[in-house]
Amino acid sequence: MQEFRLPDPGEGLVEAEIITWRVAEGDVIKVNDVIVEIETSKSLVELPSPWAGTVATILVPEGTTVEVGTPIIVIDDGSASGGAGVVEAQVMQAEVVEADVVEATGVVTDASPTEDGPHPNLVGYGPKASTTSRRPRRGGTGVDPHTASALNAAYAHQTPSRRADAVTPSHPVEARPVGDPLPRPGEAPSAALVLASPDSGPALAKPPVRKLAKDLGVNLDEVQPTGPNGSITRGDVESAAAMAHLASMPFGTPFSETPEFAEQVGATPNARAPFASGPEFTGSFQSGRLGGERREPIRGVRKITAQAMIDSAATHVHVTEWVTVDVSATMALLDQLKGRREFAGLRVSPLLVYAKAVCLAMARTPEVNASWDEETREIVYHDDVNLGIAAATPRGLMVPNIKGAQRMGLLELSQAINDLVQVARDGKLQPVDYSHGTFTITNVGVFGMDSGTPIINRDESAILCMGSIERRPWVVGVGAEERVEPRWVTTISLSFDHRLIDGEQGSRFLADVATVLREPGMGLLF
Amino acid sequence: MTTMTIAKALNAGLRRALEADPKVVLAGEDIGKLGGVFRITEGLQKDFGEDRVIDSPLAESGIVGTAVGMALRGYRPVVEIQFDGFVFPAFDQIVTQVAKMHFRTHGQRPMPMVIRIPFGGGIGAVEHHSESPEAYFAHTPGLKVVAVSNPNDAYWMIQQAVASDDPIVFFEPKRRYHEKGEVDDASTPISLHQARVLRLGSDVTLLTYGPMVKTCLEAAAIGAEEGHSIEVVDLRTLSPLDMVTVVDSVRRTRRAVVVHEAQRSLGMGAEIAARLHEDLFYVMEAPVLRVTGYDTPYPMSRVEEEYLPSLDRVLDAVDQAMAY
Repeated sequence: MQEFRLPDPGEGLVEAEIITWRVAEGDVIKVNDVIVEIETSKSLVELPSPWAGTVATILVPEGTTVEVGTPIIVIDDGSASGGAGVVEAQVMQAEVVEADVVEATGVVTDASPTEDGPHPNLVGYGPKASTTSRRPRRGGTGVDPHTASALNAAYAHQTPSRRADAVTPSHPVEARPVGDPLPRPGEAPSAALVLASPDSGPALAKPPVRKLAKDLGVNLDEVQPTGPNGSITRGDVESAAAMAHLASMPFGTPFSETPEFAEQVGATPNARAPFASGPEFTGSFQSGRLGGERREPIRGVRKITAQAMIDSAATHVHVTEWVTVDVSATMALLDQLKGRREFAGLRVSPLLVYAKAVCLAMARTPEVNASWDEETREIVYHDDVNLGIAAATPRGLMVPNIKGAQRMGLLELSQAINDLVQVARDGKLQPVDYSHGTFTITNVGVFGMDSGTPIINRDESAILCMGSIERRPWVVGVGAEERVEPRWVTTISLSFDHRLIDGEQGSRFLADVATVLREPGMGLLF
Repeated sequence: MTTMTIAKALNAGLRRALEADPKVVLAGEDIGKLGGVFRITEGLQKDFGEDRVIDSPLAESGIVGTAVGMALRGYRPVVEIQFDGFVFPAFDQIVTQVAKMHFRTHGQRPMPMVIRIPFGGGIGAVEHHSESPEAYFAHTPGLKVVAVSNPNDAYWMIQQAVASDDPIVFFEPKRRYHEKGEVDDASTPISLHQARVLRLGSDVTLLTYGPMVKTCLEAAAIGAEEGHSIEVVDLRTLSPLDMVTVVDSVRRTRRAVVVHEAQRSLGMGAEIAARLHEDLFYVMEAPVLRVTGYDTPYPMSRVEEEYLPSLDRVLDAVDQAMAY
């Protein structure tokens, strides 16, 4: 006995319909006699018999769709393979093929003695099924009568958009492209797509700094940044606010009336334009890259300082005198002061004695504490010595002053200087701290310089320059006592405006300062 | 140049896609005979047949799952989720299959699929019909998310989405479907994943997408009368976000307000605000503000106008940003 299974017709087809049996049970057939005609979804195919013999049983009736591998006919070729029991079981299963081929296939597979036995496994791929598990496509006749009548009843009173049993059989769909291809979706933009803006961009500042700028009325675009990545720091804003205030004061500084200055500090929105987009800016940027030099727009504190220097140099007639003096007694005095309880916690520096000496000398030569008022053609003599101290702060040169310094005792003066230094270091100077100065002390000694020829500050009339105080050989004693000793020696210089201060007053003032420094006790005379 | 509605523009774009590529197949609930509840696919089944414009069963997971299989076999399925709130049965398919297939197959199998979702409220609908679920998808790597706001974009972006080899979740502003606008069908569109500046301004940038674009443009017009120069950026692409265009705009205006219908917490606005603060911390004059729906379920239609960002709420945020 041989059972003939529906062969794979190829092209991935998994099932076929039995159309016509060309043989009947009991017929005698030869090899290659056509026994059955089947229809796949692609074509009608005639199948030949691989055996000669007698048709024993036809397992599947015509009109039935069966899966590849399903036994469809048993041919008795005289061999003993296959048993009647198997065939009988298959007959029973074949009758239900139409209703559920998958189930039938499974049973047949399990019952088939020609299959390899399944290998038990716990994990992973199980044994492969002998046929595909894909469900059959049903034809129009595939719906059982009960379902069909139920559907008909359901659709009796209304027309559905599509009936559940209205199944279109598979068929090839022809479609050709028409028209242009679809537009490409394109890429997400990368930063490289954005053209580098010629503008240097908005001023950079952290939110708290912006708040501060807003509170102080500072336009951040006007501020010279000193922070990381060109960002504006809190100090920059405070400095700019201070400068703006300084410039807005009616105190008579000539440069504050120039248009450049007004632009620098003004709130006009285009004030930054010359730096931001002008050809100079672009050019300097390029040359900065090529030539190994760095260029920065002149603005902020630097611009204001420069203008102040120009104005000062252009209006004041500078004369500078200097004198070298033994300040050992001053140094000794400082040591004494440092040891006193009143000065505990205060930084006591030579500047303190210099400041006091200036105040004392000023009392004897009040002409030095004066201003030239060009507008009214008057010389203004100030009662108070508002003593300016030139300080190199992180944001550039600042000159805060001590109001009414001549009224202060040494302790009070020391505290005032200490306070001023602290405030300046913190970058918290207020406009009032550096306005209305009448005289300035500058200290180039801290940089190791002997002395210098300072530029007079703003509309003041004189400025004292402290040189470095060093141990130098100094001739002391007279006659037989004359000898060279190491002493604390320094050079002080004074620049004064020769328009209103003659050489006599200037010299006397400087000599008086030198006297107090040489012998602090002499200050009692003044 | 033709004037048409967003709905017609989408229809025309889908028609072009079906014409241009035989592998394009549309599927969705009632999209065939009916033409979709919003008539976006009207007439397409008639012209391209039931095999290419498929009326699917009422099962979103099945629609997207089927599309995954089709995409694997080289088709370009464009599926319609009838309403935003209906996408969630398909969420598993979208985030575990659609989003990951290209990655899972080591780049061997792209997932050229478009999932069209009409989204947003404002049409007086019942529950599940007015939601804005874009952030769920923008949060998922492997998906690209876009939202259209006008007919020209609708016409071009749907075609570009179909042409994309990556899966695109395509949000359509359902309450703007019938807004008219010019469609320039002759020009070449900008990249699908590029934002567009719709109105230039110098004081504050409104960052928005989908149905809120119109609201923001109206707010900008009113704002101009009040003396505020308001820039409006239509994000268009939510994933990837076009931060180049966004940053370029906000660097100029230094203030940004994100406007969307979706709930506030962990929405698109949160992501955009975070990125702007990372990129422009030293530039911003004000924190990035958000005008969004509230952190509640979408309300019943009687009070939905209270929920939706309005022109007034947008302008209030502009005032707030300017006050810093």
